[in-house]
Amino acid sequence: MNYDPNDLYGVLPALILSAGALLLLTSEVFLRNVKPAVLGPAPGPAEAAQRELPPGADAKPQAAPAPPDRRYQAWVAAAFAAAALWAALSRLGDPAVPLFSGAAVSDGFGRVVAAVVCAALLFSCIVAFSYLESLRATRGEFYALALFSAAGMCLLAQATDLIVIFISLEVMSLAVYALCAYLRRGKRPAEAAFKYFILGSFASAIFLYGAALAFGATGSTRLADVAAALRSGGPSGASALLYAAVALLASGFAFKVAAVPFHMWVPDVYDGAPAPVTGFMAAGVKAAAFATLVRILVSGFGDASTGPRGWRALVIWLALLTMLFGNLLAIPQRSVKRMLAYSAIAHAGYLLVAVASMASASPRADATQGLLFYLASYAATVIGAFGVVAIIERRLALSGAGDDLSSWSGLSDRHPGLAAAMSLFMVSLAGVPPTAGFMAKLTVFRAAIEAGLAPLAIFGVLTSVAGLYYYLRVVVYVYMYPSAKGEPVQGGRLLSAGLAIAGCALIVLWMGIQPGTFASLTQSAANAFGR
Amino acid sequence: MDFFHAHQAQHYLVLAAMLFALGAAGVVLRRNAIIVLMSIELMLNAVNLTFLAFSRFPLVPNSPMGSFLTGHAAVFFVIATAAAEASVGLAIIIAVFRSRTSVNVDEFDTLKL
Repeated sequence: MNYDPNDLYGVLPALILSAGALLLLTSEVFLRNVKPAVLGPAPGPAEAAQRELPPGADAKPQAAPAPPDRRYQAWVAAAFAAAALWAALSRLGDPAVPLFSGAAVSDGFGRVVAAVVCAALLFSCIVAFSYLESLRATRGEFYALALFSAAGMCLLAQATDLIVIFISLEVMSLAVYALCAYLRRGKRPAEAAFKYFILGSFASAIFLYGAALAFGATGSTRLADVAAALRSGGPSGASALLYAAVALLASGFAFKVAAVPFHMWVPDVYDGAPAPVTGFMAAGVKAAAFATLVRILVSGFGDASTGPRGWRALVIWLALLTMLFGNLLAIPQRSVKRMLAYSAIAHAGYLLVAVASMASASPRADATQGLLFYLASYAATVIGAFGVVAIIERRLALSGAGDDLSSWSGLSDRHPGLAAAMSLFMVSLAGVPPTAGFMAKLTVFRAAIEAGLAPLAIFGVLTSVAGLYYYLRVVVYVYMYPSAKGEPVQGGRLLSAGLAIAGCALIVLWMGIQPGTFASLTQSAANAFGR
Repeated sequence: MDFFHAHQAQHYLVLAAMLFALGAAGVVLRRNAIIVLMSIELMLNAVNLTFLAFSRFPLVPNSPMGSFLTGHAAVFFVIATAAAEASVGLAIIIAVFRSRTSVNVDEFDTLKL
C-alpha cells in the first residue's frame, strides 16, 4: 500500500471541482450584510402568499437590508467547471493508469465521462444563473453543492473499488438531494427531495449490501480482485454469494439510472426540482451512474455476463421494460417537465441496450463508444431542453400558473430563437437526423446488432417511433397553436441562459453532422474494457 | 447450502440479513418519515454487521488486501456516510414538515399524476 502523490493528478477534475466548492463556501464569510436571504420574488402584491412557486410565501415587505450580491458565484463555479473540463480533456489520449493501489483508475473512459459531467455543470451553472436571479433565490450553497456533486460524479466514473464507489455515490447523491430541495419554501421541491432522498438512500443501502457480499466472497472490495475470484472459482459457495452480490449491485444502480421497475421516483423528482437542477441531474447523474454500472458489470463481473445466471439476461429485461414503459407513460403527460422525466426513463432503456451489448467481448469497443456518444449527446440535449423549460417555468412561476403544454403555445411568435432551439432538442430526443440523438441511437443499435441482440435493437427502434408522438407534440404547440396571453420575458434576463441554450444546440447539431469528430475523441476510451 | 452451516460467520450473517430485511420492510411499510429514515439507518447497520462478520471470519484465507482491515475500514466509511445521510435527510424532513406540518408519508401527494 504505497500512495504516490502523483496519483492525485489522476483525479484532477474532482480536485478542481472540490476546490471550487470550498472556495465558494469560504467566500460567503466575507460577504457583507448576510441576512437570511429573501426567497422568492420581491415582496409584492398580496397574491404572493398563495403562490406555490416560487416559494416566497412569507416574504414580507419589510425594510430588510438587501442581501449581498452573489452574482459572482455563478461565474466562479462556471470557471472551475471549465478548468475541470480542461483537466479531463487535456489527458484524454493518455494510457490508463491505476491510482491509489487500484482503488481508482485514470483511463479514457473515466476522462470522457468526467468531461461530459464538467460540460454539463458548466452549462447548468449558466442556465441556473439567470433562473435564480429572476427568482431572487441566489444563496451561497447552490453552486457549491453543484460543484460537490460534480466532483462526486467525476470520482464515480474513475472508481474501481466498491467502497470508493459507495463514497463517491453518496458525495454525488447527498449534494443532489439538497439541490432538489433548494427552493425549500414550496411544497413541491421539499416533497420531491424527500422522495428522492428516501428512494436514493434505499438504493445506496442495497448497493452496499451487494458490496458486503462481494467482499465476503472474495475478501476484497477491488473490482479486479472480484474478477480474479470469479475466474478462479474461489471457495465453494462463494459463486452463489457473488451472483447475489451482482444482483444487488445492479439493482442499486438501476435505481440511480432510472430503469423501469425502479423508476417511480423519477417523474416526481424531475417535476419538483428547479428546472436547471433537473437538467444537471438528468445529464450528470445519468452519465456517472451508467459509467459505474458498466465498470462494475464489465470489469468486475465480466466473466459472469453470459450463461444462465449471467447479468446479460437481467440487463436485457431491464432494457426491454424501460424502453416500453418509459415511452408509453410519457404519452399522456401534459406537463413538459413530466414528459421529459418519462423520456429520461426511456433513454435509460436505450443506454441499457448498450450495456447489454457490452456483455460479450467482441462488440465491446463499439458498444462502449456508443454508450459514451449517447451519454454526451443526451447530456447536451437535455440540458438545453431544461434550459428552455427553466425560462418558461420562471415566467409561469412569476405569474402563478401551472406547468402545462398550453403555456407553450405560440412560443414561436414571442421567442423564435427559443422555439427553434426547443424544437431541435425535441427532434434530437426523438432520434431524427441530422441531430445528435439520431447518431447516438444509430451507434447503440448497431453495436447491439453486432452483439447478436437484433430483436432488442428492433424493439428499441419501434419504441422510439412511439416517442415521436410526444416529442413532436411540443413542437406542434410551439409552432402551430396561437399564442396564449402572456408577454415576452425581458431580454436582458434571457442573455446568459440563451447563451447556454445556443451552446447546447450547437453541440447537438455538431454531433449529428460530424459524429466522427466525437468518435475520434473517444477512441482511447473504447478499449477501456478491451481484452 | 452447507457452506453457510459450516462457517462460523453464519449467525452474524443471518442476523444481518434479517436486520436488512426488517429495514427494507420499514422503508416500504411505515408511514412516518422519521421512522422511514431510521429504517434506512438500520439497513446500513445490517451491512456493517455483514462486513464485520466477513472480516472476522474470512471465507478466503489469503485475501489479496488483508480482509481484516478492509472490512473494518469499510465500516468506518459507512458510519461516516450514514451520519452525513442522516443530517441531509433530517434537514429535508424539516423542510417538508414546515410546508405541511406533518411527517406522514401518505400526505406527500402534491406530485401525483
